[in-house]
Amino acid sequence: MQTQHNQLFWKAVFILIMLCLGVGIYVSSKAIDYTWRWERIPQYLISIEPLEIRAPFDGSVSQVDEKRHRITLDSDYGDDPFVVENFDDLHVSEGDIVFEGDIIARQEHWNLGPLSWGLIMTLKISAVSLVFAMIIGLFVGLARLSSNPALRYLSVTYIELIRGTPLLVQIFIFYFFIGTVLDLDRFTAGVAALAVFTGAYIAEIVRSGIQSINPGQMEAARSLGMNYVQAMIYVILPQAFKRTLPPLAGQFINLIKDSSLVSVISITDLTKAGREVVSSTFAPFEVWFAVALLYLVLTGALSWAIQKLEKRLAASD
Amino acid sequence: MTNADNKSIIVAIDVDKIYPNGCHALKKVSLTVEKGEVVVIIGPSGSGKSTFLRTLNQLETISSGSIVVDGFDLNSKHTNINRVREKVGMVFQSFNLFPHKTALGNVMLSPRKVLKKPEQQAEEEGRELLYKVGLADRMDNFPSHLSGGQQQRVAIARALAMMPDIMLFDEPTSALDPEMVGEVLDVMKTLAADGMTMVVVTHEMGFAREVADRVVFMEEGELVFEEQPDRFFSSSNSRLQRFLGQVL
Ligand SMILES: Nc1ncnc2c1ncn2[C@@H]1O[C@H](COP(=O)(O)OP(=O)(O)OP(=O)(O)O)[C@@H](O)[C@H]1O
Ligand SMILES: [Mg+2]
Repeated sequence: MQTQHNQLFWKAVFILIMLCLGVGIYVSSKAIDYTWRWERIPQYLISIEPLEIRAPFDGSVSQVDEKRHRITLDSDYGDDPFVVENFDDLHVSEGDIVFEGDIIARQEHWNLGPLSWGLIMTLKISAVSLVFAMIIGLFVGLARLSSNPALRYLSVTYIELIRGTPLLVQIFIFYFFIGTVLDLDRFTAGVAALAVFTGAYIAEIVRSGIQSINPGQMEAARSLGMNYVQAMIYVILPQAFKRTLPPLAGQFINLIKDSSLVSVISITDLTKAGREVVSSTFAPFEVWFAVALLYLVLTGALSWAIQKLEKRLAASD
Repeated sequence: MTNADNKSIIVAIDVDKIYPNGCHALKKVSLTVEKGEVVVIIGPSGSGKSTFLRTLNQLETISSGSIVVDGFDLNSKHTNINRVREKVGMVFQSFNLFPHKTALGNVMLSPRKVLKKPEQQAEEEGRELLYKVGLADRMDNFPSHLSGGQQQRVAIARALAMMPDIMLFDEPTSALDPEMVGEVLDVMKTLAADGMTMVVVTHEMGFAREVADRVVFMEEGELVFEEQPDRFFSSSNSRLQRFLGQVL
């Protein structure tokens, strides 16, 4: 009972601190005379834009089908009939004579704003990099444990080189040097840099995961007639994967965050989109908070998915 | 092949094993096992029993000597060790079940992936084997939900699923609580009665007396003495006497 009260008390303390933080941010923005304009943000995520549909030629409205939202326009000069579908507002009725350029209908267009496009780009670049990073990490991790010195030294060299230099520098090298030599576009160069960078960290996770499996597992698998590859695929890696899921999740989340650095090579990811929106809205606080929130949504969804997976894999415990 | 007639299924001659750290674990060990024979190896800790057993399916390579198992010369470059291991089942002291697979999944894995048996056939045979070792009601349990004795019986079934010609046991009951030793030994006795060729490292003298066709005594990497059980236990070999005096 006593502890329960205590718990409640500290939860209240937590909420109080969070409130203070919020108030603090608000007050400090007042102090620097900042006017919050949150209403400007949504349009950069999604906007509804009216699209005017104009007559392409002189003619008459031959048919209006209200139910199917479809009108047909016949030309005076023998052009093919012009058909408009899925309009939201109609400006003519059946039999009307129209001239070229007249507005005959309006459509409402849902447009994704730059922040949404940025989010999609960030998602795309992270997902593609992740796939390659996993492949690189798996093979380098295995090479790291190989008895072949060439493979072992190669993997160690790669891991040390990548972990010893900043990602930003690697992105520049990939874009300006390797990208020029191999004629890579921005996206490919960005993905390559992120995959190679993350792959080095995943390799270390894979190595430690495999090493954490009791050698008896490999012996049991081999003594049943499996070759090394079969033993790895069916016995060692499934166990290692389960054990390395938490550090892998951390690495995936890092990858999403690290992807913001590709904005330096003019890939319009979420961060670059944020910068562009700031320059057109003059609402930097709101934009950066919104961008942070969007990153949080991505990373949060990923954490959640991996936790689900962990629960499912825990069935054998 | 030298002194082995066609009934010898294991012929090890002058086997030496020196570990990379310099430990001389086997010194000129020679042993011949006939088809259907049960050979029990005993000896003090560190005498090289496990090492010798593990050379028979090449979990350890040997430094010199020769081993022919089931017609395969383990020294030969043309021998595919995976094919040998299919025919040589091994049971470990620490079970080494695959923790991410159920009992049935453990038994089915290698027949499916190595022998490429169809799922249905592998499952049928797996169920039958688990039934034989008394685990009909535990097929879908994961190893973590099985007792030690049950786990070891799954491990035996798993090895048997490859339809081996030879079964190697490395102290199969040493990690078990005393009340579970019997159930595992019973499975092994049934197996011996069915004519399986077995090489068993164990401290269970009762098992050696009752089931073995021959008992082998190892000490300090040497095969000191081998004899039929009744003569073995009444032998006057001084090194054996000293060891038996300690364990019995
Ligand atoms: N992987 C290894 N590397 C180096 N030395 C080893 C290795 N495995 C075993 N040895 C050594 O080889 C000798 C024989 O060991 P082995 O495990 O074969 O003995 P054992 O008779 O099975 O003993 P126990 O009854 O304790 O299982 C011991 O001196 C041991 O220290
Ligand atoms: Mg041993």
